[in-house]
Amino acid sequence: MLKRKFSILWSIVACTALLTACSGGGTPPADNAGEGTAPVAETEEEGLAPVELIWYYGISQVPPDQQLIEDEVNKIVKERINATVKLQPIDFGSYTTKLNTASAAGEKFDLVWTANWAFNYDENVKKGAFLALNELLDTYAPKTKEAIPSFTWDATKYQGEIYAVPNYQTVTSRYGISLLKSLVDKYGFDTASVKTLADLEPFLKQVKDNEPGMIPLMLTGPGTKFEPFMYGYDDSGVKLDDKTFKTNLLESTPEYKQHLELIRDWFEKGYINEDASTVKQIDSLYNGKYAASLESAMKPGYEAEKKLNNGGYDVVGIPLTVATTRRTSNITTMTAISRTSENPERAMMLIELVNNDPELYNLLSFGMEGKHYTKLDDKTVKVDPNGGYTAQNWVFGNVFNGYLVEGQAANTWEETKKLNESAYVQPTFGFQLDDSAVKAEYANIAAVKAEYEPLLMTGTVDPAKYLPEYLEKLKNAGADKVIAELQKQLDAWAAENGKK
Amino acid sequence: MEVYAAKLGRGGQIVVNGFFLLLSACIVAPFVLIVSVSLTTEEKLYELGYSFFPRGFSTLAYEYLFQSPGVILRAYGNTVFVTLVGTLLGLLLTALIGYVISRRDYRFRSPLTVFVFIPMMFSGGLVPFYILMTQYLHLKDSLWAIVLPGLLSPFYVLIMKGFMGKIPYELVESAKMDGAGEWRIFFRLVVPLSTPALATLGLFMAFNYWNEWFNALLFINDDTKVPLQLLLVRIMNTLDFLRNNSEYIQSLGINMSQFPNESVRMALVVLVAGPMMFVFPFFQKYFVQGLTVGSLKG
Repeated sequence: MLKRKFSILWSIVACTALLTACSGGGTPPADNAGEGTAPVAETEEEGLAPVELIWYYGISQVPPDQQLIEDEVNKIVKERINATVKLQPIDFGSYTTKLNTASAAGEKFDLVWTANWAFNYDENVKKGAFLALNELLDTYAPKTKEAIPSFTWDATKYQGEIYAVPNYQTVTSRYGISLLKSLVDKYGFDTASVKTLADLEPFLKQVKDNEPGMIPLMLTGPGTKFEPFMYGYDDSGVKLDDKTFKTNLLESTPEYKQHLELIRDWFEKGYINEDASTVKQIDSLYNGKYAASLESAMKPGYEAEKKLNNGGYDVVGIPLTVATTRRTSNITTMTAISRTSENPERAMMLIELVNNDPELYNLLSFGMEGKHYTKLDDKTVKVDPNGGYTAQNWVFGNVFNGYLVEGQAANTWEETKKLNESAYVQPTFGFQLDDSAVKAEYANIAAVKAEYEPLLMTGTVDPAKYLPEYLEKLKNAGADKVIAELQKQLDAWAAENGKK
Repeated sequence: MEVYAAKLGRGGQIVVNGFFLLLSACIVAPFVLIVSVSLTTEEKLYELGYSFFPRGFSTLAYEYLFQSPGVILRAYGNTVFVTLVGTLLGLLLTALIGYVISRRDYRFRSPLTVFVFIPMMFSGGLVPFYILMTQYLHLKDSLWAIVLPGLLSPFYVLIMKGFMGKIPYELVESAKMDGAGEWRIFFRLVVPLSTPALATLGLFMAFNYWNEWFNALLFINDDTKVPLQLLLVRIMNTLDFLRNNSEYIQSLGINMSQFPNESVRMALVVLVAGPMMFVFPFFQKYFVQGLTVGSLKG
């Protein structure tokens, strides 16, 4: 009696075990081609054993036709490098959590998208999550390496090694203002008269006096930063013409104070939206309701992109600086190879393929013609938002090989490349603070900044009272120690690179 | 309850009732607001802001969601499957082990109780858990990855043990005298007597499974296996994430207009939370008995 009951119990247990064992998709181990031997370039394609490559990248929303695109991609990849790709698009909101966990667990995957704002590149390089790519690049991806300027490669280097391939696109920052075109035309405002931010005042006044319900200058708390380059400093707080590489605490510079006073004055005159310090982002809520906004990335064709994003209102851009390039703008989107990859050389071949085969690149970025997009001319496409496939073209590879989207001028890519290569390279370009000695202070300062910056930068509070208070809190948080550490590292860096 | 009411007097009753009315209002109000937003046209939302009564009534948000019902219905199916299977299996396992460690005549009662108690205090951490699930159990992209981790909670086991420990041992003994085996005693005697505890824990488990998204986020990539909550969390998290990183996004260019707007997101919240709100009242009566662990029941 009892025995029979136990046998039933055991069978339940066994079934559960079987169920769990069968339900997972364990991937068969791929055979290791050329593990541990020096990479030898394979010129003969039949010399390649079939492998599967897993590719993680970010996406806004996983599209319904994902599988269809993967099948199409595999037709091309199979034929060219005898590999199949498993595309693993992960929404941006989950990407960092998911990839940090998978990476820490030593999960096997090959290509992985990384950036300085998601699945952080620097942190993961230090953790050893990525393979060093110098040799692989030279051997398997010469064309990709060729197409990207050397300063962009420098931005990816850590102790001389490259750990990710930049998805080459705009690598410049350019600061300025966007104005609503309809109002510029209506009041015949001379945009050429604007040389500095302060010159915008007559326009703001006109809007304030004659356009009820219109916000003259729209600011958002977290998005409004002090742009050192606009005031002659570079990202490390060094004056642009300073050959001694002396860093400054930006918040204590006279330029910072002047800027705050100007913005405060505008806020009091009612030129700035009253909820500026709390608004997170300019979204459709404000479409056509504001006359001017600040820009940090004025790239060729940006007006068309902006028009697309803010409900079809035309804008006129007024740049206030030349285009500059800095480390952060060069590492916003990259593809790395995981240290757990069993076929790093094949992964690199795939990177080379995606970066140099427009057909494959466009398939990944825009989907299939006639189904997901229509061609307007040879170079330009109109994406159907409800077609069943949308992705971000800049997560896959070099955007200059791909189509332009509706509204971008035909020469956008040429102009962007030109701008990239002619951009002002900041004096401390390539320098990066290693914050391990001042981690606690760094975190404290970030907390103080998050509290005060949105209030001060939007003119919501009076700088005469709050700026001294802010500076004191920064000092208490350890700003001096951080600046000293920064100076020490800058000096060492400058000496090492023969800048002094 | 009548006894207490008489002691309080009229004034006291009004105060107590008033307090609970207020408390209920605080809980209900946000949900009413969400329902109202989901039924308002987007234009009116921007013009007038949120309100408790839809100004500019429209069911557009729901129509938008059910334009392609496939995704939502499948997500619903996944959530319902996980909730049902997880709750039933979980209850069975919890009752089994709870009963065993509640029996005073069981030799290894104390060590086993300690063994159950340990994971309540310590956990292995996220990465070992992930390694176990993906590399040893191969549960990536399987609904079992959502079901299994929630099956046994030490806390629930201890509640169960507490409840079953109060069942008079004489009952078990007399059943034994009548020739019943251990299984029969458990299923025919102990389980029916533990209905309040089972109902209470069952509801808790069902809630946990219904609201589960983190394990799904970690282990599910396949879009056909996404539970409802994850669908919502993905949209909300991605929106927030992109907003907080707008300085980087600006140079790259992401078209934010491809995201569902405010009223659609709220409609999704209503769809996610709705069913559970209807289930709850049916379990209410068991609550009062089930959770009073350690007090006398009349």
